[in-house]
Amino acid sequence: MIESVLRATLLGLQLGVTLALVAAGLTLIFGMMDVINFAHGALYMFGAYFGLLVAETLGSFWLALVIAPLIVGLIGAGIEVLSLRPLYGRNPLYHILLTFGIAIMVQGIVVQVWGARSRRIPAPELLTGSVSIGPVTYPIYWLFVLVLSTVLIGAIWIAIERSDLGILMRASAHDTEMVDALGIDVKRVFTGVFVFGAVLAAVAGVLLGASRSVHPGMGFGVIIEAFVIVVIGGLGSFKGAIYAALLIGLVIAYGALIAPALTDLFIFGLMAAVLIVKPSGLFGATEAA
Amino acid sequence: MKSVTTLAADLKTAIGLGETTGPVGEQVLSSQGRLAALVVAGVLAAFAPVAEAFEPFWLNILTRMLVFALLALSLDFVFGYAGLLSFGHAAMFGAGGYTAALAIREVTTNALVVLPASMLVGVVVAAFVGWFSVRAKGIYFAMLTLAFAQMFYVIVFTDLPATALGVETITGGDDGLFGIPLYDVVGIDFGSRLLYFYLTLAVVLASFAVLVRVANSPFGRTMQGIRENEERMRFIGYDIQRYKLLAFSISGGFAGLAGGLYVPFQSVAQPGLLHWTISGELVVMVLLGGMGTLWGPMLGGALVIYLEERLAGFATWEIILGSVFVVVVIFAPRGLAGTLVSVKNDPRNAIDNAKGALRNYAEKVRG
Repeated sequence: MIESVLRATLLGLQLGVTLALVAAGLTLIFGMMDVINFAHGALYMFGAYFGLLVAETLGSFWLALVIAPLIVGLIGAGIEVLSLRPLYGRNPLYHILLTFGIAIMVQGIVVQVWGARSRRIPAPELLTGSVSIGPVTYPIYWLFVLVLSTVLIGAIWIAIERSDLGILMRASAHDTEMVDALGIDVKRVFTGVFVFGAVLAAVAGVLLGASRSVHPGMGFGVIIEAFVIVVIGGLGSFKGAIYAALLIGLVIAYGALIAPALTDLFIFGLMAAVLIVKPSGLFGATEAA
Repeated sequence: MKSVTTLAADLKTAIGLGETTGPVGEQVLSSQGRLAALVVAGVLAAFAPVAEAFEPFWLNILTRMLVFALLALSLDFVFGYAGLLSFGHAAMFGAGGYTAALAIREVTTNALVVLPASMLVGVVVAAFVGWFSVRAKGIYFAMLTLAFAQMFYVIVFTDLPATALGVETITGGDDGLFGIPLYDVVGIDFGSRLLYFYLTLAVVLASFAVLVRVANSPFGRTMQGIRENEERMRFIGYDIQRYKLLAFSISGGFAGLAGGLYVPFQSVAQPGLLHWTISGELVVMVLLGGMGTLWGPMLGGALVIYLEERLAGFATWEIILGSVFVVVVIFAPRGLAGTLVSVKNDPRNAIDNAKGALRNYAEKVRG
């Protein structure tokens, strides 16, 4: 009993920090550009598939983990400049239609290029096998994902809180107009944030592509989880997204322990409960969008 | 390029769903528009027997298009008019559908009984969801409706009601309920696909008439007022929450009605009816068609279903469908309805306008 709870906790934390990578990009993009990015899941999926491509052709998981996010970052830049940029200043609802369209396109492209069958990125030999943590045996790969994601999230957090770039980002999110008036090219900041979000999503895609599976439905699957996280945390709140991601990761893991079929019920029930009690999320501004 | 100054201001109004349609107080549908709606219905009615004779496949598509037109209409009523972005309309659609399936199996196949029942269940579900959700605003409202809809989806998918009541099955779990026959009305058997098409057409047309009527009523004006400026309406003394809840419930009723029409036609009720992807598609249909016009979203709904059906043969259909959404949103921001209206008002400059849009796009991309 204690064993399975401990195991679920570790799994939940691992899933939570990896989902935080996806949700962090989503919440930063919303916070700054007011874009509800439905294509974010598609970028995550692209990360997994390009990871698969690189891992299979070059035979290296490590190269996949570096190259795939870079490719996806480039794609993200293309999406931002060609389709989102002309839409700033319009009703944000149109971003839903736009990014929904992009998500459907990506799904079609993936099925065309890679087929519909489910696959898995081969994990490197170094990370196979398992270790004992107290009474549980835990796959080394999961531990690696847990550590790497935590380090990444921690680094981003510090960067946002401390670095000049982070201050610029927060300032742009807070008062776009003022930052623009100060002579900073906000358009570039926007593109940068979008690309950054895409890269993070792709990293998560490669990481989870080797432990869960890589299939054409994964983009739409993760996007709802990510939205739930971002909303529970409070839209645009980076801190909120991280806490909420851990919470959701644990809920998924414990849910799988209690009643696997009802996991979604717990997740959405939790979200509904949070929003009913606090209509702008845990760390959201009081005046909700 | 539009300066970032105006951008910020625009975003603020946009979040309250401002700047979407014409000025408050405009007639929802001119007498000309009403005539056009009747003509379209007449053409469809005349075309149906031809389709039946030569290509029965068409009759199927047309019926599905009508059902989704009704569904998109129901969403636009609450989204385009009251500014409530519901991301859970599949819940009411599915609830209506399952009501029809269970009623037809256990009680009666009479459309005059079952369809109102589907509608009523849609209202009840919407009232339940709305009760918890209308306090939240914008995207938070959307996510709350989504959350409830997904919970209903899980409940239906895992057949929780049967577990709770200790019976074998109620919703049929992930298999759904199969072999649902078509309706009849005392004396008339709608067992033929052609008659079923007419039944659907009649219901959709009547729903459209009712919703246009409501949108033009003082209630509809109040809804538009709430969409444009909620604070002001509150200060005038309107009970915003009650109006929103009412609008959401009415909308849910018509979504339930659409479900009640859909399930016997497909002869199966499946949990997929309640899945969020349906809700997402509906939002896309409304935006594609042009929100706040009622007829535009019907067009959008019909078009999406048509494209999905026709393109399904191509291997690349998702890529094409996605591109259509992207192109429309960039170049025709007011949807099909907006484009049609502007071409109608200014047919000679249509090509110039299109060129202008392209130039404008290139300029914005360059920044």
